[in-house]
Amino acid sequence: MGEFPLPRIKDFIRRVTPFDTLGEEELGAVVAHMEIAYFPRGEVIIRAGGPPATDLAIIQSGSVKVTLPEMEGGEILVDIRGEGETFGAVSLLQGSQALFEVTAREDVIAFLLPAAKFRELVDRHPAFKRHFSFSLARNLQAVQRNPATWFATGHQGDALGLDAQLARSQVGELMTTHVLTCNPDTPVREAARQMTRRRVGSVVVCGSEGHPLGILTDTDLRARVLAGGADPEAPVGEVMSRPVRSIHPKAFAFEAMLEMIRHRVHHLVVSEGGRLLGVISDHDLRVVTGAAPVGVVRDLDKIHSPDELELVHQRLDPVLEMLLRLGGSAQYMLDLATEFNDRLTAKILELTELEMESQGLGRAPATYAWLALGSAGRREQALRTCQMNGLVHDELPPQRREAGGKWFLTLGSRVVERLASAGFPLCPEGQVASQPAWCQDRLAWVRTLEDLIAERGVCVMPQAGPLFDFRAVGGSDGFAAYLRQRVTKALEENRRFLARLARLLPYSRAPLGFLRDYVVDKSGEYQARLDLKQSGLTPLVHGVRVLALEQGLAATSTLERLEALARRGVISETFASDLREAFSFITLLRIARHLEARAAGLEPDAQVVPASLSPVQRKMLKDSFAVINELQDLLARRHQDQRVA
Amino acid sequence: MAEGFQTGGLRLSLARARNRWLRFRLRGRELDPRARANLGALDNLRLDEPARSHRFVVVDLETTGLDPNKDRVVSVGAFRVVGGRVRLGEVFSELCNPGRDIPVESIKVHAIVPDMIHQARPAWEVFLDFLGFLGRDILVAHFAPFDVYFMNRVMKGQFGFPLQNLVLDTVELCRTLLLKPDPYGVYLDFKKCGLDALAELFEVEVPERHTALGDALATALIFQRFMQKLESQGRGSLREMIMLGGMVA
Repeated sequence: MGEFPLPRIKDFIRRVTPFDTLGEEELGAVVAHMEIAYFPRGEVIIRAGGPPATDLAIIQSGSVKVTLPEMEGGEILVDIRGEGETFGAVSLLQGSQALFEVTAREDVIAFLLPAAKFRELVDRHPAFKRHFSFSLARNLQAVQRNPATWFATGHQGDALGLDAQLARSQVGELMTTHVLTCNPDTPVREAARQMTRRRVGSVVVCGSEGHPLGILTDTDLRARVLAGGADPEAPVGEVMSRPVRSIHPKAFAFEAMLEMIRHRVHHLVVSEGGRLLGVISDHDLRVVTGAAPVGVVRDLDKIHSPDELELVHQRLDPVLEMLLRLGGSAQYMLDLATEFNDRLTAKILELTELEMESQGLGRAPATYAWLALGSAGRREQALRTCQMNGLVHDELPPQRREAGGKWFLTLGSRVVERLASAGFPLCPEGQVASQPAWCQDRLAWVRTLEDLIAERGVCVMPQAGPLFDFRAVGGSDGFAAYLRQRVTKALEENRRFLARLARLLPYSRAPLGFLRDYVVDKSGEYQARLDLKQSGLTPLVHGVRVLALEQGLAATSTLERLEALARRGVISETFASDLREAFSFITLLRIARHLEARAAGLEPDAQVVPASLSPVQRKMLKDSFAVINELQDLLARRHQDQRVA
Repeated sequence: MAEGFQTGGLRLSLARARNRWLRFRLRGRELDPRARANLGALDNLRLDEPARSHRFVVVDLETTGLDPNKDRVVSVGAFRVVGGRVRLGEVFSELCNPGRDIPVESIKVHAIVPDMIHQARPAWEVFLDFLGFLGRDILVAHFAPFDVYFMNRVMKGQFGFPLQNLVLDTVELCRTLLLKPDPYGVYLDFKKCGLDALAELFEVEVPERHTALGDALATALIFQRFMQKLESQGRGSLREMIMLGGMVA
């Protein structure tokens, strides 16, 4: 039999790396050695610790997961392989017992090339040797899943737009190691003299055992001694700043920045195990970032009129952007952005209240809280996405109800408007505090939420989820806790609501096939795009939210919810950490995409072109989607069980 | 299931009895070696061994039409399935010269035009080669009676006896495994057992539908699913498979 009679099969194999390097005739001969096998979903195709694979498998349709079983019965996901990808090479080439377990994730049809023929190809073709020895290394590397190495593999001008050098700068590399120290009894004048002689901006005040007690900085000298009138002969202990904020030398520059912003300090003491190693200052960070973030946040605090807000927003954004560009963990990025946004919101509230008072509208007629909903409520609004917020205030006596309600509505409308001009757009479906339905007293809020849960309400279901992510930003704290408690109680009485909420996803399954197509089609021009928010973050966040609501968790952020869920044993520690990684990865990718689009002067969106991702990123994305699929399966099972029960 | 076991065994027993009677009748007669080989087709079957351990040949014939009395074979395509895997290197694929014009309707279906078959050998020659390819393996076809009818016409014409191999029908397997029990055939929802319907159900991509080889491959992949389905139900023996999918003659 000369020419292989089914050209389509040959065409398929021809596109599989490294078979694409074979000549026409040899390819035909290789295909003629193949067999087609079918593995049903769930079948363990290669068992870890079992005999090595007898064939190299090329997946024609479906996907498999490659895992590394752990002692305690868990498993580490090493890889997901889809159409046009291979498995079995590692154990086959090593000839030893299989290290990884390969399981069909879906029904799989695979072309199998017998071991002997495969070895012959590896021996004769350098391309095969290169490809399959690389895949072994890659597998082993994937096991040591170190987030720090995710991006390091990318080349220059990496798609993430993060300068790896900067992203990986650690406090230990940037800090000043020649630290000036003194004891608390040293006179201020003496300390200042030493600082001048050594040309440093701070002196660390240490106790008798050498542990840092506080710090005396240029700013302290200026503010407390020169301007504040403290005695230059007084002991340093009376003038120094304390407690001293410390940070670990292995922390990223980014984290140091966040600490400074949070505590509004310019210096951090670098210590390890109570031992003083150095000092890192705002200035040291400026070397890396080119701007001093603490200053910008200070500027925000110094504003006294609403007109100045616009200016700060203009200064704040570039700094925030720069910080995001620096990279770091998703947790830190989100914390940082939340810190900025919360301060901005609080400032706007404060100024608007003052403005209303000066216009003769009077003060707040009752205590209130500003509620952040949706991503802001989850502390996940890294980007300037749609506003979602509300206002809850104390009940007013009947005679003041109307006027009071109007006052709060005015406040809500003005704040919403200012937030919009600060870059948080108003979206058609977004609930905001300028709408009477979301600017109410406590009892009305409880009624609204309870109606929603008992499905008596008029609220459209798809928007229901983010409402439950409420968190108080400005004003009194008690409101959010009270509402949370009532929501939890209402949910306990209406289990059906959660089941409906679980099934509510405006989405079917994470698009693994999308990436798979890409693999098969890498030669062609592939224009399809993938929406990171719609297909990745939304289903993940929503799934975690449903579980958290079911458990009555107070935490609103996805990462905190995951931690609490794992602690309660609702999901396994491994699964929680997989989801954490998926969330972090997609979040980082999304932030990077957004910044990239902005830099290019384009309208930012959450879309990526898979072809533009590095192989590592594609793999991570694939893994992330696989985990999200698992979460969906879990939710589906849970709520099926509950319906039966 | 006791009755079922009997039925599976019974079918083979009957086939073997007929086979023995045939051999007795043909004893001492000089036979074509291919005919002689075919007489031993039932010798190596082991009823209680897994079906997977047997060898199968999945065949598809393209014809000039659907009337077995009038129409002729234009191509034969077949794959061998060993150990539950479809061997891409053991393929039979050949066009036949039907000795007359191909109706326009059938050209539309399988895209074989008259020019292509003028050089082809007559169907009986091709078929005798296929008999060599088939050997003693179990024959599998989608709606097997149709294919077997055509083959038996050649068999009887050449050797005076019908094909001796065990025959499994994927339509029959579909009917017994997938459709609801329908002993009187009142529902007649055979459409669900069509090749396209099954390919869609199992998400089997058929590379070249309506070529003998493409359809044979689709049938082989579907047969693979049925085999797995039976195994997952603990009914993976050849006996069970004959019971559920043996050709109803």
